[in-house]
Amino acid sequence: MVMKYVICLSALAAVAFAQGCTNPQVEASSFTSLDATVVSQIAYITEFTLKCDNPLPENYALYAEVEGKPLTAARIGDNKYQVSWTEEPAKARSGTHEIRVLDEEGWASLRRARRADPAATVAPLIAIQLNHPGSYSGPWVNSEILATALSILVAYTALRNKSNILA
Amino acid sequence: MLAKENKAFTKEEELLLQDFSRNVSTKSSALFYGNAFIVSAIPIWLFWRVHALEVSSSLAWFAMVTAASTWLLALAYRNTKFQLKHRVAVRRADAVAREMARKLADDKKMSRKEKDERILWKKNEVADYEATTYSIFYNNALFLTIVILSSFYILRSFTPTVNYIVSLTAASGVLALLSTGTK
Repeated sequence: MVMKYVICLSALAAVAFAQGCTNPQVEASSFTSLDATVVSQIAYITEFTLKCDNPLPENYALYAEVEGKPLTAARIGDNKYQVSWTEEPAKARSGTHEIRVLDEEGWASLRRARRADPAATVAPLIAIQLNHPGSYSGPWVNSEILATALSILVAYTALRNKSNILA
Repeated sequence: MLAKENKAFTKEEELLLQDFSRNVSTKSSALFYGNAFIVSAIPIWLFWRVHALEVSSSLAWFAMVTAASTWLLALAYRNTKFQLKHRVAVRRADAVAREMARKLADDKKMSRKEKDERILWKKNEVADYEATTYSIFYNNALFLTIVILSSFYILRSFTPTVNYIVSLTAASGVLALLSTGTK
């Protein structure tokens, strides 16, 4: 009985040990759409390589949360993951977006905590800062308004001078 | 003395009649028509590139509208120049007379009458040049403004062909009409 308990505990510990990532280190690169004139959605993409002290299993799943939005990190290589999402250009905020990456366990505890308190947070496994410098959505003044304004200015000058000459 | 002055005045009057008539010299006419043609042709680019007007099927319209608009604009140039020339001549008279007098002061051989004629001729030349250039500037500025306003805002919902025809004929027509007014 005792033996069985010990085995069970060690099995649990082994599972926990195998699944968890100790001392996570991350190397991330990112991309965001900068030109909003030709797209309808702003894309945010970050790719990162996760390094742990312990070896990770093949199918080690990661989840991410960005400003309350739940996302799944796609596994794109050995310990390499990608998190991406899109936003309406009007809602796309420039500045730093924090991507909170959680493992399966952290994700489950976050979901549990959320059930009781929707604003609950759980310390993430890693947090990646993604900087979006803002996207270009066309000139402030469009060309026809500029052309109209300039031509009216010139026409006004012409009319004014003519009435001065004829006065 | 009186007779001489009278005679000079008559000659001056003749010159004035000739110089301030609505008729323009061939050179001036060529300038007007050339300018009017260029300005009438410029909107083709606007309608072709910006309003996406099909060029190959609209060539006949381009030719007709450009010709009509050239004629109307040249008319507007001429009338505006006529309106302006007299006022410009009055405004520039003193300055031109002073400058010519200074220039001709050294010439002792020239008679007073000759000097006066030269001054008058110079006044006419200056007024003609300034009125011509200002008339071209004034009409071009108004023409392009009316074309831009009507093509982008007033006739926005029409097809490009209708937009082109109406915008250009309306702009040049309005200018020609306005130029016939006295003020």
